[in-house]
Order: sequence, then structure tokens, then C-alpha cells
Amino acid sequence: MLLVALPLLALIVRTPWGRIGEVLTSETVLTALRLSLIVATSAAAISFLLGFPLAWMLVRGTFPGKTFVRALVVLPLVMPPVVAGVGLLAAFGRRGFLGSWLYDWFGFQLTFTTGAAVLAATFVSFPLAVLALEAGLRGLDQRLEDAAATLGASRWYVMRRVTLPLMAPQIAAALVLSWARALGEFGATITFAGNLQGRTQTLPLAVFEQLQTDQEAAFAISMLLIAIAFAVIIGLRGRFLR
Amino acid sequence: MRRGLALVAAMSLLFAACGSDDDAAASTGETELTVSGAASLTDAFGEIGTAFEGEHPGVTVTFNFGPSDGLATQINDGAPVDVFASASPTWMDSVQDDGPGVSKRADFARNRLTIVVPSDNPAGIEDVGDLAGDDVQLVIAAEGVPAGDYAREIFENAGISKAAMANVVSNAEDVRSVVTSVASGEADAGIVYVTDVTADVADRITQIEIPDDINVIATYPIAVVNDSQETDLAASFVDYVLGPGQQTLADHGFLPA
Repeated sequence: MLLVALPLLALIVRTPWGRIGEVLTSETVLTALRLSLIVATSAAAISFLLGFPLAWMLVRGTFPGKTFVRALVVLPLVMPPVVAGVGLLAAFGRRGFLGSWLYDWFGFQLTFTTGAAVLAATFVSFPLAVLALEAGLRGLDQRLEDAAATLGASRWYVMRRVTLPLMAPQIAAALVLSWARALGEFGATITFAGNLQGRTQTLPLAVFEQLQTDQEAAFAISMLLIAIAFAVIIGLRGRFLR
Repeated sequence: MRRGLALVAAMSLLFAACGSDDDAAASTGETELTVSGAASLTDAFGEIGTAFEGEHPGVTVTFNFGPSDGLATQINDGAPVDVFASASPTWMDSVQDDGPGVSKRADFARNRLTIVVPSDNPAGIEDVGDLAGDDVQLVIAAEGVPAGDYAREIFENAGISKAAMANVVSNAEDVRSVVTSVASGEADAGIVYVTDVTADVADRITQIEIPDDINVIATYPIAVVNDSQETDLAASFVDYVLGPGQQTLADHGFLPA
């Protein structure tokens, strides 16, 4: 308990409350905040859109190597983010597997772009979305869907009017959890996307850079991130995690 | 606020107590000397450290390499460091004036900066002016990091500040991260110290010299941090760097101070 409370308390004590308004409305922070919101929201959306079909296959489908796929999906959760960054570089970097091809054929480079920051954030937040959606699908009473189908509803109609509404809490949890994870992403981002204000410098990267020079600013931004995390927990407890 | 300070003080005591446990453990075997050094010193100081250990049996030199601004901030925040070697006088001043203070301060080396490009030179960089060209992906160290500030100074000297800064795609944490980005081919060019083109990366990057009238010469100061518990040993390390260490530094391409 103390282990968790002490760093939080120390942060609160060291935060320059007198100039917190000034720090949080500085150009560096506002730019990083805007970028963080864009990156985290995109990552959460992509995690959901790709995670839903995957969770579906994992729950309802039967295919060889299912256990393996499942393990693979969860891997980024326990993998050091910096390793994720190295992997992304090896795959999508200018000299990576896919990256070199993209670069040679289309002159397209992903590294050092906002797209790279989104990809890094998606990579680490994707497992959370899949796990939440999987739990939702597993807990679903399939008879309700069958009943709707027997009554002549098309598969798309069943999905839209029965399955998705029943899963609303887990969908919300998937979105919120992957969004929060994406918002905090640091290691993979700085390794793969670099650090440039307005393009790849998200809030955690801004904390890291400010810490080298203006520590008070770093503490202020940290408080902002903690406040957001706190809001997420309260939101989850109130609505989704009961 | 007062309460807050008391809390911080209590916490420091707590950590100090934990720290002394470690010291007790260490004293049964070896004495540890902690040296915080600019990232550009990684290779040269690594060798100097090994040689110093050889002459001082029972002493282990632990290095903490990173951006000088970050190292200075750590020391000013109470990190237990015995010797600080900075890549710019600015951050030594910071420890001297805003931090615990220093003694035995001396300049021990100088360094020139250079442009580095991947060996296949994808953007066809031939001189400083080319860094301002279209579609050049430039990586330099962040502002505050000495190598980053020197790079910005060079752009200014060359009169290409605006165009070159617009080409910067990433502000690296320290100068060695700049080398990594260029050596991996992700960036078209970077600005680093000539000493950063080490044997490890020499076959993957090419140096393009910066003319003297535009270039910046970095001065490296070293000193004993006043918080040190091992002031005598720290002082002899500083002496070693200023003495026999000079040859090692020269071998790695540093200029004498």
C-alpha cells in the first residue's frame, strides 16, 4: 500500500501548484496533449475494430493453432515496450521487412511519423481490447442471438441489434482500457516513432524530456496524466467493472 | 508546504537508511565509485574505468552514462554520484551553482562535431548546406542536451536554422541515440561528436566534416561532486582522467583541453 501511495504522495508534494496552470497551458503541453488524445483515440479505435473479429474467432471459431494465436495476442501485454519498439523497427523501419518494401516502392516511411506513434500505441493496447471483448463474447447468452435468427433476423441485424448492445459494457471497457494504455505508452513510441513536438511527442515523452531540464513541468504533466488515469478508474468502477 | 517538506525529508531518511545497508554490504568486499558521464564518453571512460580499477584493487567504478542535462538534474536532485563529467560547462555550472556543488573542477577534453549519414547516404548529403534540403530526415539530440544545443548552434552558424530545424524528425534523448538512428538507416543524417563514430558503427555510417568556421568545439569539464562519500577516491579518479586517461581519450578522438 505504502509502495503505491508514496510515489503518488511525493508527486503531489513536488508538483508546482502555484504555476501548474501556466505549465499545463504552455505550448509544449498543449501540443503534446492534443497529440496524445489523437494517438490514444486512434489506437483504441483500431484495437476495437481489429480486436472484435479476432475475439470473435477466438471465442466462436475453431481453427488449428488457436491456443498459439491467443498466446501471441496477449504477448505485447507482458513484453517490455522497448522490445515492442525494436520489433516494430525491424518490421516497419526503413530497412525493416515491410518497411523497406514500402520505402523502395512508394517512398513511404512510417518511422518518425504520427502514424508510427499510433502503431506503437495500438501494438501495446490491442491485447487489452481483445481480452475485454473476448470476455464479453464468452459471457453472452448465445440463445438470444439464435432466437433472433429464428425470427428471421439477418446475421448483420442480429449483430447490430442483439450482440453489440448486449456487449456494450465490455465494448466500453475494451475502448477505455486500450485508450488508457495507449495514452501512457512510452517505450515503444520513443524507440519506433522518435520524439518530435507536434508529431510524435506524446505526454509521456514530454514528461521524459522536461525531466531533463524543467523538473517542475515534468511533475505538473505527471499530475495531469494521473488525474486522467484516476478518472478512467472511477469511470470503469462505476459502470463496467462493478 | 512545511508538512510536505517534512515528508520529503522523512522519505530521504528512509532511502538513506536503505542506502547505508548497501554500503555495509559493499564495504565487506569492494568500494564503489559512481561516475556520471556524458553519453559521448561511454567508450573512452569505459576503458579508463577498467584501467583505474586495475590500479586500485578493491575499487569498482560504476558508470552512469546519459545526456549531461539529465545527469546534472539527477545529481541536483540528490542522486549519489561521486564524479560528474559533462559535455558542456553549462551543466557543470548547474551542479556547481544550483546543486550540491563541486570541487577539483577542471576541463579534461574537447570535441568537434560532425555530420553522420548512413553509409549508403540515401539523401545524398555532401555538406552542411544539404541538411537544409527538401525531404531530408534529420535527427539531432534534444534541446538542453549539449550535442543538441551544439547542433542548433552549427545550423545558425551555417545560416540554415529554419530549413534545417524543419527537417528534424526526432529530438533524441542523448547523442548516442542519434548515432543509433543514423546507423539503423532510419534517419538520413544526424549531428554527433567525431568521437561517436566508434568501431562498432564505423561500417554503417559515414562522416561528413563540418568546416571549422561553422563548427563548434565542445569543452568537457570534470569534477568531484560535493555530496560524495568517497571524496579521496573521486579525486584520484579525476586526477587519473587528467593524467594517464588523456592518452585513452586521444585514442578515441578527443582533443586535449
